Amino acid sequence: MKKQFTLTLVIALMTVYQGMAQEWLVPDDQKGLTNPSEYNLSNVKKGKDLYMKNCKSCHGDPGKHNGLPLVPPPPDMVSEQMQKNTDGELFFKITKGRGGMPQFETTISEDDRWRLINFIRNFDPSHEQLLVDAPPQKAKLLASVNEVEKKVEIFAEVDDKNGSFVKLPNAAVKISAKKAFGNLPIGEVLTNAEGRAEYQIPETLIGDESGMVNIVVQLDENYVTDNVVLDAAKVGQPKPQPRLIKKEILWSTNENVQSWLLLSYLGAVGAAWAAIGYVVFQIFKIWRVGKE
Amino acid sequence: MEKEKSPEESRKLLDKITFDLTRSIVKRDELTNFWYFILIMFALVGLWGWGIQVRDGLGVTGMRDYVSWGMYIANFVFFVAVSLIGFLISSALHLLKIKWSKVISRVAEQVAIAGVALAGIIIVMDMGRPDRFLNVFLHGRFASPIIWDVTVVTTYLTISVLLFYLPLLPDLALLRDKGSDDIPQWKRNVYRILALGWKGNAEQYKLMAHAMRILMILIVPVGLSIHTVTSWLFAATLRSGWDTTIFGPYFVAGAFVAGVAAVIIVMYMYRVRYGLKDYFEDYHFNMMGKLFVLVCLVYLYFNINEFFVPGYKMKTAESIHLSNLFTGKFSTMFWATQLFGLFLPITLMVNKFFRKPLPITIISVFVLIASWFKRYIIVIPTLEHPFLPVQNVPENYQHYAPTSIETMITVFSFMAAILIITILAKMFPVIAIWEYAEEKGISREIISEPKN
Repeated sequence: MKKQFTLTLVIALMTVYQGMAQEWLVPDDQKGLTNPSEYNLSNVKKGKDLYMKNCKSCHGDPGKHNGLPLVPPPPDMVSEQMQKNTDGELFFKITKGRGGMPQFETTISEDDRWRLINFIRNFDPSHEQLLVDAPPQKAKLLASVNEVEKKVEIFAEVDDKNGSFVKLPNAAVKISAKKAFGNLPIGEVLTNAEGRAEYQIPETLIGDESGMVNIVVQLDENYVTDNVVLDAAKVGQPKPQPRLIKKEILWSTNENVQSWLLLSYLGAVGAAWAAIGYVVFQIFKIWRVGKE
Repeated sequence: MEKEKSPEESRKLLDKITFDLTRSIVKRDELTNFWYFILIMFALVGLWGWGIQVRDGLGVTGMRDYVSWGMYIANFVFFVAVSLIGFLISSALHLLKIKWSKVISRVAEQVAIAGVALAGIIIVMDMGRPDRFLNVFLHGRFASPIIWDVTVVTTYLTISVLLFYLPLLPDLALLRDKGSDDIPQWKRNVYRILALGWKGNAEQYKLMAHAMRILMILIVPVGLSIHTVTSWLFAATLRSGWDTTIFGPYFVAGAFVAGVAAVIIVMYMYRVRYGLKDYFEDYHFNMMGKLFVLVCLVYLYFNINEFFVPGYKMKTAESIHLSNLFTGKFSTMFWATQLFGLFLPITLMVNKFFRKPLPITIISVFVLIASWFKRYIIVIPTLEHPFLPVQNVPENYQHYAPTSIETMITVFSFMAAILIITILAKMFPVIAIWEYAEEKGISREIISEPKN
């Protein structure tokens, strides 16, 4: 879905937005609106989740200036171009959209749109920064596969900064399947109060020829840990392998040789060499008779 | 078989026969040394060329993407063809109880061994990576005519060696027991080992006859298949000029022509060099001449089929190929091979005069050369005309011409083949002494009695 959405965006931008005016005028009555949602950690966190789902694909990671190279470029959250907007202007622009920037009037509730603005303001120098990127914590991750129930069982621990590890509750664990060209994300699960989590592998997951899947389990980027790779777990569907070459066809490998041809060849060669062997045996007999 | 002679008479005659037929083994003069020198020198030059080819790769040859089979394969087919005479003379004619061919069988087997051995060697020399030769056996595909060819060449070589060796046993024992002191000691040691304690008793003769009979029957299908499978290397493809159903018999018939010519030349050489006028008589040359005309007529018949039928229809791709042969680039070679390889031998040798030893040998030399070029014409023109147009390639990809390296290696193959025949003639009697003596009415007891 997200991918399609991004694609639609890109196409829309390329076709419609080219050459349109840079100025984005917001009606005066909208400009002065104040944010009804409180600027606190909870709202900023929620805004972050919304941003990650709806905005990041074009605007990129805040502060990293890695938005999509579109025309005009989607501004970064930390940029002046973004922050000079009033709350009302931001709200209007998110709600209505223009050109490549879609409208979110129908997809994000009004409250959440305001929360998004709280998140954006987190990067405004005039606001107190509520979301601080904490340095990643050391963690331990254990995982095993229950092949019978097709479950991944996870147990996570975190360094409590005193050198001992304690259970890690409420941490996102990503589960992917290792494929030829990278990891295919298949799901995410949160650890419980015991630091444990269980993930049910979907029935539709396709493994190799015998249904084997290499499962990769990883904690989110707030934790430093080695990913757990569970090699060759028999939890997937066997990969269908259509035979690309017809059986018994000429100019193919020995596996596909026509049986009549193989039998004729082996029969003729076997008969000839059996006769030769018999003649050699006669020569041996001549030698034995000569010795008597 | 002549009437049995008295023991004294027999012994005298056997001594004479043995003396005459071991002349090739004993004789070693300046000419022998010179002959060896020439053969080995040219063979070494050829091996040097092969060394260059192994070092630099097949790029040193004239073969490119389109013509990927050049003079080597033509030469390979030629040697396979020549080797087929062993099957015709020492098996087919024997089984038909034709007597005059008995004297010639050992010569035919010599030619067969030399031909088929060289055929195998040439294939290795045509390989870009001869060090991977074993892969042919390890990873060969049973559906490929190339694997069949490798199998059948090795099988035929084995049978030819056995067919040469088995009737040699009484001769080896005879030379071991009665060989003159002129025979070098090391040769007599070889005879002693190879004779396998042959005593010449009835049981041993029986075992030998039994084994020979099996070999002679076995070599019929194997001999036919060696050249039929070689023809399938071509006929199993879809290319114009090769895509024909008569290629098997066409090749076999052509092989007999080349083989008969080769045997006549070798016979003549022995006759002159080793003074075997009384053994390779005018009669034998006369009969070989008749056989020669017969195989040429059969080959002519297949040639007419091979060229008349597609020449009548002139299908698009075939017509390019055929006009290239009849009137185009290869026309001189084509008509020369037909003239010297078929028309002349047939028209000349129906006259008795041309079946005398010297004229028939001269004709044979022409036929042998023509049959070599005939193979060249079978291999190369077809490859120069693939179905898809030859486009955007360098000039030397479009036409094939053998390079000097290829010529050197081909010369090597001739020298090596003659060297094998020479060594066999120098090691073993060129005619089966015991068989010849038996024909003259000398009893087996006298043949196998020790020297008095």
